Amino acid sequence: MTRQLQDAWIVAATRTPVGKAPRGALRTVRPDSMLAHVLRRVTAAVPSVPKEAIEDAIVGCAMPEYEQGMNVARIGVLLAGLPVGTAGMTINRFCSSGLNAVSIAADRIRTGEADVMLAAGTESMSMIPMLGRLAMNAEVFARDENLGIAYGMGLTAERVALQWKVSREDQDAFAAESHRRALAAQEGGEFAAETSPFDVVEHVPDLATGKVAERKKRVDRDEGPRADTTLEGLAKLRPVFAAKGSVTAGNSSQTSDGAGAVMLVSDRALKAYGLTPLARFAGFAVAGVAPEIMGVGPIAAIPKVLRSTGVKQDDLAWIELNEAFAAQSLAVIRELGLDPAKVNPLGGAIALGHPLGATGAIRTATLVHGLHRRGGKYGMITMCVGTGMGAAGVFEAV
Amino acid sequence: MSSVSPPIIRKAAVLGAGVMGAQIAAHLVNCGVPVVLFDLPAKEGDPDGIVRKALAGLAKLEPAPFASKDLAAHVEVANYASGLAKLADCDLVIEAISERLDWKRDLYAKVAPHLAPHAILATNTSGLSIASLSEAVPAALRPRFCGVHFFNPPRYMHLVEIVAGPQSEPALLDGLEAFLATALGKGVIRAKDTPNFIANRVGVFSIVATMLHTERLGLPYEVVDALTGPAIGRPKSASFRTADIVGLDTMAHVIGTMRDTLPGDPWHARFAVPKVVAALVSKGALGQKAGAGFYRRQGRAIEVLDPAAGAYRPSTGEVAPELAEILKERAIGPKLAKLRASPHPQAQFLWSIFRDVFHYAAFHLASIADNARDVDLAIRWGFGWQQGPFETWQAAGWNEVAGWIAEDIAAGKALAGVPLPEWVGGERVRSAGGVHTPKGSYAPAPDAFRGRSTLPVYERQLRPDPVLTERPDAGTTVFENDALRMWHLGDDVAIVSFKTKKHTVSEEVLDGLQRACDEAERSFAGLVIWQPAEPFSLGADLSGIAPAAAAKQWAGIEAVVKKFQDTSMRLRSCLVPTVAAVRGMALGGSCEFVLHADRTVAAMESYIGLVEAGVGLLPGGAGCKELALRAHLESRRGAAGSQIDMLPVLRAYFQQVATAAVSKSAPEAKALGYLRPCDVVVPNTHEVLHVAKAQARAMAEAGYRPPLPARDIAVAGRTGIATLQMLLVNMRDGGFVSAYDCEIGLAIARVMCGGDVDAGSLVDERWLLDVERAEFMQLLRNEKTQARIAHTLATGKPLRN
Repeated sequence: MTRQLQDAWIVAATRTPVGKAPRGALRTVRPDSMLAHVLRRVTAAVPSVPKEAIEDAIVGCAMPEYEQGMNVARIGVLLAGLPVGTAGMTINRFCSSGLNAVSIAADRIRTGEADVMLAAGTESMSMIPMLGRLAMNAEVFARDENLGIAYGMGLTAERVALQWKVSREDQDAFAAESHRRALAAQEGGEFAAETSPFDVVEHVPDLATGKVAERKKRVDRDEGPRADTTLEGLAKLRPVFAAKGSVTAGNSSQTSDGAGAVMLVSDRALKAYGLTPLARFAGFAVAGVAPEIMGVGPIAAIPKVLRSTGVKQDDLAWIELNEAFAAQSLAVIRELGLDPAKVNPLGGAIALGHPLGATGAIRTATLVHGLHRRGGKYGMITMCVGTGMGAAGVFEAV
Repeated sequence: MSSVSPPIIRKAAVLGAGVMGAQIAAHLVNCGVPVVLFDLPAKEGDPDGIVRKALAGLAKLEPAPFASKDLAAHVEVANYASGLAKLADCDLVIEAISERLDWKRDLYAKVAPHLAPHAILATNTSGLSIASLSEAVPAALRPRFCGVHFFNPPRYMHLVEIVAGPQSEPALLDGLEAFLATALGKGVIRAKDTPNFIANRVGVFSIVATMLHTERLGLPYEVVDALTGPAIGRPKSASFRTADIVGLDTMAHVIGTMRDTLPGDPWHARFAVPKVVAALVSKGALGQKAGAGFYRRQGRAIEVLDPAAGAYRPSTGEVAPELAEILKERAIGPKLAKLRASPHPQAQFLWSIFRDVFHYAAFHLASIADNARDVDLAIRWGFGWQQGPFETWQAAGWNEVAGWIAEDIAAGKALAGVPLPEWVGGERVRSAGGVHTPKGSYAPAPDAFRGRSTLPVYERQLRPDPVLTERPDAGTTVFENDALRMWHLGDDVAIVSFKTKKHTVSEEVLDGLQRACDEAERSFAGLVIWQPAEPFSLGADLSGIAPAAAAKQWAGIEAVVKKFQDTSMRLRSCLVPTVAAVRGMALGGSCEFVLHADRTVAAMESYIGLVEAGVGLLPGGAGCKELALRAHLESRRGAAGSQIDMLPVLRAYFQQVATAAVSKSAPEAKALGYLRPCDVVVPNTHEVLHVAKAQARAMAEAGYRPPLPARDIAVAGRTGIATLQMLLVNMRDGGFVSAYDCEIGLAIARVMCGGDVDAGSLVDERWLLDVERAEFMQLLRNEKTQARIAHTLATGKPLRN
């Protein structure tokens, strides 16, 4: 058990719909604008909390440069209209950034330093694709054991598929199931509570008239799930990352745009503002694995977080396991013996998309609303992280 | 000033977005002519949907109709219902709709009121008479109406036939000819207004004759194709394969047109669609597009139709050994004599198709063309034959072959019984030994030898495509050795041409080029590198390197590599402007000359690339150096403070070199950065020398000084190498490239990043050249590179080891 002064409670959580990158509905929306939007919505959800009480906003972003550089957290805070007294910090641990933001924000509360914190994540992969402005260090290639740093994520998934013997058929079946669950969840309105629709305003040159046309559209659902996904269709796709591999565009996560935000408060704030919490933040753990098999990071991180929180694996009602690749998801599920029915009940990143640094915050919104809606005590969010890490956070519904 | 000024054509329109119309529109934008492409309004949805769909279809067509992908956006789309106003600013309108007189008449009536008063209306009809179409045109428009007949695929087939209507304005046709030749790069032939004009009249007859004799002699189709392709100077697809590509329904239609429109042709009885073609069409076996025709693909194997069995069988037929022996004969005269004398059916077949085409072309020459040169060039440019029928006949011995033909006609062996026309044995042609003479080619109407067109546009063709007996002006030699010749055409721009096979670059060529630079500085205003025939050059002569490497003569090889670098650098430092005049392939070492010449003038069809990686080497003639320098210069403009982000530019160059990418056109070479924005793309391959000389002279007139040697070149250094290495490692460990491919790529990366120095280090050209040479030598010392070179020299194919 960690030593802490008080608990950190999640009192509000929301997210944008997730758009496809680079050609989806949110492709023209700035990552700082998406961030400002979710910060506005999450604070609006708890009107009794005075804005001045918000200490800081911790924001995850996996490629914090160009459009999402310049400490995007602080810019998002100011664009959201929060008081100048509310600070902002951008953090990066690639795909766990959003979850780390929640954990850091919670820790500020748990140590008694803060009473109200925002945690968020934002990523526009339309604007800043994977790798960003890449410039490698020559030292990486000086020693063979560091070669994994240079591996593309897809190639690491191929390594995992080989080492954990995950077949192409199993990967494709997993991907098809992800789409099936996501579509069913959309159909059942399961994402309604957690989603803050985004009104996109595009400024399009109308070459015929010479005018700037303002095109407005409301984006209110995730773009990723495909009703036309079939096993046959998935089986036809060619491997992308290895000539004789099994990892395809169809059984990998989608590149996406999106943002999510969570408000965390202390025991004191809970009482002072008369808030009903959605969940208690129970704990977080991170662990390193070899970079070339980064996909199995959760195998190392999950036992750690269960140990530190004292929660048993069987007590987990809901596991959000980020589907970076079907290959690594299946390796994690099999190695730890996770219950497939409890893993990603609403579908995962293969169907819903994976806006890198935003995913942790987005899935926090999914999990806390989901536990609240469906019942269940403990839930977990976990993901693998590039260059060989795993992260896991546990939440307790109240 | 010339008497005929070319028409001012700012913009063109093409009516009809079918296979031909859409491709003609594509070629117009290839050549920088803005174009509006019209078709019928779509019944549902986007009214321009039909045209958009046609344009989308072009993207999938092979060979590519667009010279570069981004050109598709330059074709404006329109439909006849709402877009006719767009015709108002079109100076040339080419109609390319279906071959239906009534449809064309309706369309002309519809568009005529919208045409600019000066606009030219031309029809791309291949079958209908221009005179009858002219009558379908409003009277006021008739002087500006004519036929322009493109060949499929229009970007690649050199021929365009211009056909005058009864009232066509002659000066306008001359102007149009100049436009077609210079702006669109076409070989223009004036055809008379007879069915199928010249090329298709003779060319389709040849196909009919081939099919008839194939059937008569019972030859398998694959054997006929083996006999009628490159073995006799015709395209690889030969006869039946060509028919499959063209489409058997189209083939049947074309033959049907001959039957319908040529009732008086003495061969008319032969213009029936062959039974086998009709049978295939009725079964839907329309050729390539249907997956089956004369041939079909079964898995990896090609099967051929056995007409007797009505089924496909393995394609195993071969040319008989005795025929192969005859075909080895180099001189066409003895070859034809042996074919005619041999009783072998394959020999009889070949002689028969030669004889009947000679007979047909001679019989109809007077009615379809002005002169024999026009027929021969039309067949060469429209059907891809190396020689036209009259050229082959004359090369074989005009009078003797005429006698053979006459004998065969008398014996009832020819496909028609009409005698050869009088002029064939007439005094003029008989004493000249044929229809082609250095003074001109035979024209039956005046019974005289007609010289080349005197239109001013042809002054731009210093070396037109010659017909038999035509000898181009050899110019005056400055110096000459076994490897190259430096010469001039009586003016102050010198020309250097390689004499090596495929114009490969040997050490002697390097010496010669350096000497040519010296001579040019002393006595000329500029120097042009130009080859009398394609390709520009296949690059360094590997056959010299291989044995030297085997003998481990490293110092000697390195001296040659150094000489290669020095030669490239000499082209740049030469005190007079140097111009590379490129047509066809410019690969490897010759691409490095292109990169270093002060200017490149490239034919539209130029295939330029650094292909050294394919044989396990890297561009070692200053090419890697030059691309590193260009990456520096191109990214410097966007530099923020002292930081230069050259990686995106460098990475693009690197990937091209590492994958041995070759441009598929001159515009694409610009996109790859092998040609610079200042380099000139010339649509007509025969105008390249003229333009290159003009460019050299213009630079000289501008007071040319060579550029100062590049200094303070920022390189990507260790970080750049590591970043490119990341790409390579993922390719290697993903199994896409071999470990040695990765090593080669890494060597290229090291050169292009300036070696193992800190990112942003400032170097000079000498530094980059030294790194380039050292890495080149390192690769050459590797046995795997030596194996690649040996394999390529032996097989012409790359080895992936």
